[in-house]
Amino acid sequence: MRRYDLNEPVDAVVIGTGAGGAPLLARLAAAGLKVVAIEAGKHWNPAVDFATDERAQDFLFWNDERLSAGADPLPMGNNNSGMGVGGSTLHYTAYTPRVQPDDLRIQTDFGVGHDWPLDFADLEPYYNEVEQFLGISGPSPYPWGPTRSQGYPLPPLPLNGAAQLMQRGAAQLGINTSPAANAALSGRYFQPGVGWREACLNRGFCQAGCNVGAKASMDVTYIPLAVEHGAELRPESFVTQLVMSDSGRIREVVYIHEGVEKRQKCKHVFLCAGAVETPRLLLMNGLANGSGQVGKNVMAHTGLQIWGEFDEDIRPYKGIPGGLISEDTHRPAGRDGGPVDFAGGYLLQSIGVMPVTYASQMARGRGLWGDPLRTAMQQYNHVAGINILGDCLPYAHNYLELSDEKDVRGLPKPRIHFTNGENEQRMTAHADRIMRDIWTAAGAHNLWAFPRNAHVIGTARMGHAADHNVVNPDGQSFEIPNLYISDNSTFPSGLSVNPALTIMALSLRTADKFLAAN
Amino acid sequence: MTDSPYPTGTVRALLETNLVTDATRSALLKRLTATPRPPEFFTAAEFTLLKQVCDRLIPQPDRPEPIDLVSAIDERLSSGKTNGWRYDTMPNDGDAFRLGLRGIDETAQTTYNQPFSSLTAAEQDNVLLRIQRGDTGLSGVWEQLPTNRFFEELLVEVTETYYAHPLAQEEIGYVGMADAVSSNPPGWTRIGLNEREDREPTPTTNHHV
Repeated sequence: MRRYDLNEPVDAVVIGTGAGGAPLLARLAAAGLKVVAIEAGKHWNPAVDFATDERAQDFLFWNDERLSAGADPLPMGNNNSGMGVGGSTLHYTAYTPRVQPDDLRIQTDFGVGHDWPLDFADLEPYYNEVEQFLGISGPSPYPWGPTRSQGYPLPPLPLNGAAQLMQRGAAQLGINTSPAANAALSGRYFQPGVGWREACLNRGFCQAGCNVGAKASMDVTYIPLAVEHGAELRPESFVTQLVMSDSGRIREVVYIHEGVEKRQKCKHVFLCAGAVETPRLLLMNGLANGSGQVGKNVMAHTGLQIWGEFDEDIRPYKGIPGGLISEDTHRPAGRDGGPVDFAGGYLLQSIGVMPVTYASQMARGRGLWGDPLRTAMQQYNHVAGINILGDCLPYAHNYLELSDEKDVRGLPKPRIHFTNGENEQRMTAHADRIMRDIWTAAGAHNLWAFPRNAHVIGTARMGHAADHNVVNPDGQSFEIPNLYISDNSTFPSGLSVNPALTIMALSLRTADKFLAAN
Repeated sequence: MTDSPYPTGTVRALLETNLVTDATRSALLKRLTATPRPPEFFTAAEFTLLKQVCDRLIPQPDRPEPIDLVSAIDERLSSGKTNGWRYDTMPNDGDAFRLGLRGIDETAQTTYNQPFSSLTAAEQDNVLLRIQRGDTGLSGVWEQLPTNRFFEELLVEVTETYYAHPLAQEEIGYVGMADAVSSNPPGWTRIGLNEREDREPTPTTNHHV
């Protein structure tokens, strides 16, 4: 790996190596730029370091304590950011649907929320590129959205028990389903600049780390590509300050490595630390917030899960967790066929589950303990879930701020306020009925609901106008010309799909816009 | 509680094979061979009370050697490790545990005029249920600690600790740790409904009774 001198200004410092940072790191390095990536966590060797054990894998999560406030406090830890080279892609479920074009214009279509300052056509070539490079496994043709100019490079992964059951129940209700697009390899795959990656072994362990490199986390895809092109990785380094020059540009990135403060001189900064750490760093430094929008507009996908028990043997630890998808509810109808009483929509996803996660949810969601808990847990091999992933509107009451409480590094802990609005409640109620209907049709009993929200989004919004957005459509700060943001904090709306693929597509687009302008 | 339908001894047997990786074996053995340790975070009295509470949240009358839950919680708190978040209405995890344990004894006193440890199992359950439901009255500790949130967090930690143990996983028929990455063929191939690999134990008793 190439090394760069702290005092020699590098072309770019990239803060964070997840879905927002890694693709652009590779792009900038490939263009011949001197780039350094700074990552809070370690650079793991999954084949050796990753156990097939949920608790032992806790180290993948961002475990510095955050404060969750509001009427629907957001669980963090394993529900959100990751720590380590690869960021939260180390523990994402690898579910990679594209947005549909109308996801980007919720304000135009419904009169609420915010449109994106770019169109589907701006994203489409990048979706193609990311899907081909990562080796996404998915159905071609894909049943929903615009006709694709390029199919998925690999066929879908095999369906596990939960996916088969959802297929069965949905078919009886006339709901279309399809094997889902997943960023895990259904066959051995050659990745240009990286080499061969092995096929998925159906470990079902995506949310706690893939030990064979079949899942397209950044550490086995864009990161090695970036290093191949000359990028330097600095793991276990925590950024604390962005130092400004008199000309209003960032000239230095300050970080702590093994307890020692380091200062990297730089020409540009790409802040890709996710929708909590990105606004936290900006707020701590009092930067890029002339609009007052840094930390505002926290959104989190509606993510209700419905669990059921079946007579069949399911063994929910096997197979890609999110095997099946339906986007029939992308813009759903009401029960009577008429219009629904909410804006936007959601997707439906079958879900497998690991035992500690399931037990934890039964404790938190159902409040079961004592004999009833142990008895219910004995049905583990017979449970299957469906969940939704739905849009969320921005509200003034949902925001991130710095608290007065300090963390182990002496930095203020972030406090995240979140309360679902009426739109999210109505969408969730709609989904609750549909999922119960599907599970009942599939033969489930003992149904129960686990209410949740997933993916923190939207704390540094992109838009056309500097007075109420943090970055422009290229990801560039309105106030600090050599600062770019690339992660889910820039999303103007929540979207009705999982965010990772779109974060990666935007990351490449931001890199290309930057390269074209510099 | 119904008895586990799954045979015993399967997880230990798996650890002798190459169906688990070295990293997995090491993680599971650490838990299987853990011995009770004196408390570092809790006082002896708090430690004893927490153990009595754990015995009600996850009763293990069927196990000759119950899975030790309190030592793992004490170890977690003494190391200062967190799971990345907490409810804003709650104090830090250590203070929450200390206060909440005091609150459990207070509620035992206000309900039965006795400490928690002197109560019958049914009375202890009743105290815990009142706390879970927030039905304690807002006096003493519960003036400053949200009753139901404390119970939720306590229950989640105890539950996660129990089901992270290989023997608890064996009890529910989980063998996902046997991911067989170095076998031929590697991994799981029989993943559909009612499909099973040889290493997946079958229930020895009728499942749905």
